Amino acid sequence: MCGIAGRILNAPGQVGRDLVNLMDAQEHRGADSTGFAVYGAPMEQGYVLRGMGFDKAQMDSDLDAFRHVLKDHGSDLMGDPRIVTDAAKHYCFRMEIKDPKNLQAWVADADDLTDRIEVQSCGRSLEIIKDIGGAEQVSEKHKVHDMIGTHGLGHARLATESSVLPNASHPFWARPFSDVAIVHNGQITDYFTQRNRLERDGYRFLTENDSELIAVWVSDQMKQGLSMQQALTKSISAIDGVFTFMIATPDGIGFAKDRFAMKPLVVIEHPGELAAATEEQAVRRVYVDESDVINHDGPSLTGIWGVGNRSMAA
Amino acid sequence: MSEIVIDVGKRHIREINEELQEACKSGKPIRVVNTLSRHNLGVGLPDGADITFEGSVGYFCGGLNTGSKLRIERNSGWATGEGMAKGHIQVDGRAGMSCGAAMIGGTIHVKGDAGPRCGVAMKGGNIVVEGKIGYQSGFMAHSGKIIALGGAGESCADALWEGEVWVAGPVESLGVDVDVVEPTAEEVAEVDAILEPLGLVDSARDWRKMVSGQRLWYFEARDASAWLMI
Repeated sequence: MCGIAGRILNAPGQVGRDLVNLMDAQEHRGADSTGFAVYGAPMEQGYVLRGMGFDKAQMDSDLDAFRHVLKDHGSDLMGDPRIVTDAAKHYCFRMEIKDPKNLQAWVADADDLTDRIEVQSCGRSLEIIKDIGGAEQVSEKHKVHDMIGTHGLGHARLATESSVLPNASHPFWARPFSDVAIVHNGQITDYFTQRNRLERDGYRFLTENDSELIAVWVSDQMKQGLSMQQALTKSISAIDGVFTFMIATPDGIGFAKDRFAMKPLVVIEHPGELAAATEEQAVRRVYVDESDVINHDGPSLTGIWGVGNRSMAA
Repeated sequence: MSEIVIDVGKRHIREINEELQEACKSGKPIRVVNTLSRHNLGVGLPDGADITFEGSVGYFCGGLNTGSKLRIERNSGWATGEGMAKGHIQVDGRAGMSCGAAMIGGTIHVKGDAGPRCGVAMKGGNIVVEGKIGYQSGFMAHSGKIIALGGAGESCADALWEGEVWVAGPVESLGVDVDVVEPTAEEVAEVDAILEPLGLVDSARDWRKMVSGQRLWYFEARDASAWLMI
């Protein structure tokens, strides 16, 4: 049991605050860790990175090594990274970088440092913030409440298939596809089969979390030419398990539900905006009036919600 | 008779339910306000209380009810009335997944649609849904009746035991080991007797009564080839 949420605004606004509220209302579904994916104002050039280092005693040398890899790929930091630490051994960072010559090649080399430092999101506008603890705790530490953007995702994790580690928290970035993030409630039962297939195609997984797999699987399908809608529809028959997941790009949010209708999804839509969550009491934190609730509780459902007038067809 | 008002808000649910139990002893009607779709409201209620929930409720509302009359003025979440033994629950909106799961008596009346697996593993009582019942409703129902007036979703009455699923309107697909049988006039009269107090009798209804085909009941006997259907 996990809790997931999505939020779309009709103009850039306090999406961080809304996601924190959506997840705070679902903390009982999983208080191991909480995470957020926020789509802010897109950068015209360069990428914003969010990530984690696993030993703050080694922070300086880890960041130096990371910067060397950036330079090897024609990139560099665009300013000092912002570091967040507390009593925990790990530290979190946010940094802006210049465009590497080849993003996928840089990601592959940067991932060689993954036992020391891990990039958890890369995008023109996407930032993934995740850590151990409940929604308010993670928000307080990382100032999620103050983040401005158009849309985003949230996740409260009850660890079942992998460890309670900060980097096994959701959302997951669809490594190495920039600006794609996923949240998932469920279990993928053919995880290792699917993972082996994707690894043979060159993809790299940094956790044993099944949600990481879905993000890459959907992105790979789109790379092969499927639209988002086609990829979501295909996921229902191609991936085995019980699941409801939401996948976000700069253009909006899509969702898919398994064949067995085991995991709920509740939505309140207003013109140009919406809130989606596992539980109705969460969306009512955002829409406190008695707006009509849409229950996507049947089997084999998919849908796409665009941001503004943007289409998610491609 | 004046009513007792209980305000939910963000208070602890155990505190709310203790207050509800106390209010039930007064014999007065109870109105629960500011419900905010919270879970576990009104679980384990005694016989004889009359409670209205003003707004939507979350999971398990009315669970283990032993005879109270509940009205939920908007939607209810998962497992409304789970395990109830007696009493009446009315949902004015829609009910989420597993409405009436494992109930053994009483009546649940949903004015809107009900989500997947309505009446799963129920062992008695009746569920009346004016709208449509969701995917795999009636799954492994041992006894009692699920009566849907607005159709049914996929895999209806899957793996039914001795429960019955009655549907007026379209059925998207049947589950495994289900037979659709022609109801007798006496059986229709029994269903109308359940619908009559709710003001829902319509003699023009074209019923589909679903019962177990009993082909999968005992693994070692009967029709072994039926297992290949799954």
